[in-house]
Amino acid sequence: MPPRIHPPSRAIASILKCKQPLRARHYATAAAITPAASHEQMIHSSPPIARFPSTQPPSYKPPEFRKSQLLRQYASLLRSTPLMLLFQHNNLKSQEWVGLRRELTKALRKVDEARVAAGHASEPLADGIKIQIIQTGIFAAALRIVEFYKPDSQLSTLDPTDPATPSPATLPLYNDGLTHTLSAAAHEAVVDTRTAHALAPLLSGPLMLLTFPNVSPQHMKAAMSILAPSAPDFPAPTRRANPGWHDPGVQSGLQKLLLLGARVEGKVFDVDGTKWVGKIEGGLDGLRAQLVAMLQGAGAAVTNTLESAGRSLYFTVEGRRTMLEDEEKGPSSAEEPKE
Amino acid sequence: MITRFMTEVTTVFNPFSPKAKTARLFLSFLPPNARQTGMKINTKLLPRASKEPSFLELKFKDGKEMKLDTEKLGIKGVTEEVDRHSRILARQEELTGN
Repeated sequence: MPPRIHPPSRAIASILKCKQPLRARHYATAAAITPAASHEQMIHSSPPIARFPSTQPPSYKPPEFRKSQLLRQYASLLRSTPLMLLFQHNNLKSQEWVGLRRELTKALRKVDEARVAAGHASEPLADGIKIQIIQTGIFAAALRIVEFYKPDSQLSTLDPTDPATPSPATLPLYNDGLTHTLSAAAHEAVVDTRTAHALAPLLSGPLMLLTFPNVSPQHMKAAMSILAPSAPDFPAPTRRANPGWHDPGVQSGLQKLLLLGARVEGKVFDVDGTKWVGKIEGGLDGLRAQLVAMLQGAGAAVTNTLESAGRSLYFTVEGRRTMLEDEEKGPSSAEEPKE
Repeated sequence: MITRFMTEVTTVFNPFSPKAKTARLFLSFLPPNARQTGMKINTKLLPRASKEPSFLELKFKDGKEMKLDTEKLGIKGVTEEVDRHSRILARQEELTGN
């Protein structure tokens, strides 16, 4: 017959087992008493245990796929590239790509050398300007995340258990505090912005990006005169100066490239706008010089205006003084000219 | 798409309009050596704000001219129209035996 009182379950038994030696020690010697928990430990809970390595936060999109890594790569490209040109490439052969890349690098190196010769102490950009063929769909997704997902501003302090939270407020579905590109929060934020960005219609068909690490209209001008020459502002290199550009391989590649637009510091430009950006003389330094010259001109004009008032006052007062002096000298002098 | 009977391709489109996709895809369907084999390809890009419709004009070896409205036709429709005429030309070529 089984006993009426069941033996204690395994869990309780283990707890009892743990407690017994403690109690025994407590009774044995006063020195072996475990010290009481400090005040800090009493009022603060222990820090939470990280469930994932800090370099690999859990993500909404499976990180082992090539698509996800491309998304990350494009997002980082978009965040780090202030100036990019978009081209459509229609069935270029690899030899033509090689020729185009060669000519582009040559032209950009020349710009760098010219800048160094002109005394601009800037790092060379030629090696950072790259031609890259992109996957348009993934690039569009990356663009939406970069443009419409701002984790710092969206980080809501609303807490569903807080009575101060207004009831119509929409709480983010995923509030696990992760804000990286592949996170669920990023996905939620851009899910219905498929056609919202101005660049979205461009992102179809075969696309090529020319990315600049810095907004430098000089480099942009050089690149455009190589890849998309147009008569007055972006002249093609002459046959004597650059015979390699006139190779049939390069030329047939060029005919199949089509400049579509540009993205400059987050703004979208069409072909005319792109040409306008490329036409800025002397780049950012040139613009600064123009502004300084304009301000200096304005300053000189202001000084002239202010000075002229003072000068005329001086003339008036001086004229009055001479008149009074002449009156003091007596009637012997001739009649004074009245003011 | 059968492209060997085309002699001239003219496209006009505004790349910032979603309907320009057809024209752009058509350009990317042309073979890499299209210009070397005597096809004239003219492309005109409209500025971003323009509302003009995009279109595609084709000329074939037998002199037939075709103007396709790429706003309404998708790339499949354009391919269908082009192939319909190209197949006729291909058959004639086969029958004359050269």
